[in-house]
Amino acid sequence: MLLRRIYQFLMIYALGIALLLALKYGLGLSDYVVPGPGEIGRTAAVYAGPYLLAVLNTLAVAILGHLLAIGLATAVAILGRLTAWVGSFIRTAAYNIQAYPIVAVAPIIFILLGDGLASRLLIAAMICYFPLLLSFIGIFSEPVSEIEHFYESTRRTTWRLQIKIRAFENVHKISTVVVGSATMAVVGTIVAEFIAATAGIGYSIRIALYQSDLAKILVALFLIGVVTSLYLVSLEGLGNALQARLRRS
Amino acid sequence: MNLEVRHLAFRHPNASSDLFSDVSFQLPAAGFHALFGPSGVGKTTLARMLTGDIRNFHGEISRDGSRRVLYTYNLERLPGWSSVRRHIEETAPPARRRQAGELIAEFGIEGCVDARFSRLSMGQQNRANLVRYLLQEFEVLIMDESLANVDELTREKIILKIKALFPERCFLYISHNVAEVARFCGRVLVLRAASKAPQVVCIQGADQAAERPAPPPQLLERAMLEIVHAA
Repeated sequence: MLLRRIYQFLMIYALGIALLLALKYGLGLSDYVVPGPGEIGRTAAVYAGPYLLAVLNTLAVAILGHLLAIGLATAVAILGRLTAWVGSFIRTAAYNIQAYPIVAVAPIIFILLGDGLASRLLIAAMICYFPLLLSFIGIFSEPVSEIEHFYESTRRTTWRLQIKIRAFENVHKISTVVVGSATMAVVGTIVAEFIAATAGIGYSIRIALYQSDLAKILVALFLIGVVTSLYLVSLEGLGNALQARLRRS
Repeated sequence: MNLEVRHLAFRHPNASSDLFSDVSFQLPAAGFHALFGPSGVGKTTLARMLTGDIRNFHGEISRDGSRRVLYTYNLERLPGWSSVRRHIEETAPPARRRQAGELIAEFGIEGCVDARFSRLSMGQQNRANLVRYLLQEFEVLIMDESLANVDELTREKIILKIKALFPERCFLYISHNVAEVARFCGRVLVLRAASKAPQVVCIQGADQAAERPAPPPQLLERAMLEIVHAA
């Protein structure tokens, strides 16, 4: 799984670089616009170390934001299934709010909270929160009647048991949504850093952009791709291990 | 009388015709009885009315002395996070936990109850589910195809065991097996289409029990013919 994901990323990355170089040599663009392979290699040798630290910094914030979003989405989805109108209200609100691009709301967050960790964390969490919430509301509101019937008719149903049954029956769906939203958390953190922050790989990319240094941006993109792939593979591994454990008798 | 249904009428929302036009019958407080009828005639809907799950009907259902009417069906599942035995023990009232082992052995699932529910065959799943219900507190248990996918000999053994262990309780067995309901059930309620009157015909079954000699073949044949004719 890890190798497959890394191969996929390397293939896409290599295709992108090949396309850029084809443009460079096809249109006769200068090294200032698109650096040559030697320049990219030299930049990688100098900046790979600091950029890797920046990517890990971004990843740490993304993981925290992701966990925050998962916790919040779980809590709100559990509340949302209590009564029909509360669930309906939360679902409608979530659909409407997610229609706003978080990037457009981000300046308000930076004005209120400044450009520190809190803003990055909040934006990362918000970007992956709504897809998680909508999926969790769907999962926790849908009765598994062939299992729940017994507990209802013998008056043993509690909200904890209901959530346990529904989560257990949808563990594959939950795992897929969590892995899918992880990418969004990383993207959200980078976007937050790019808009206004003083740390992380998004901040490094913004500096490279001001310097018009495409080589640095390409090195940053390579590291983001590799580290994000590793994170996703870890999450998929955790999800698979959990499902395998649940299936074992 | 324990369960009495008087002039029940019901139409599903958005349906063009009545499912029940005038259903009336009585069931004694104890015994093993059957609800028989062709597919789609409303057996499950009637069962849901008896348990109180469906309430928007006309007529009256009197559950004199039957505070707890349970309904179980053959597609039910046990949660998959622990073994079948553990689920059965956890859901059995403390006073009945000792009986769990006896039922598990008598129902022929001793060899598989330590596995999770999804690992069991369909017949084993239905038996495990039925054991779980039999251990609960109830006055009436409606068994909707609860012994589906179970071989004939085991079904016979299970029904006789239920009748021997719970003589004071009322069972309503929903099945499409004419021979089985004619042989083991005390009363067979044959539910028919709403266009027929009466919509429920009550036929006396042979009511075979472990402690009594097998009913004569003529009696069984007559009961079977009456059921088929009524349906």
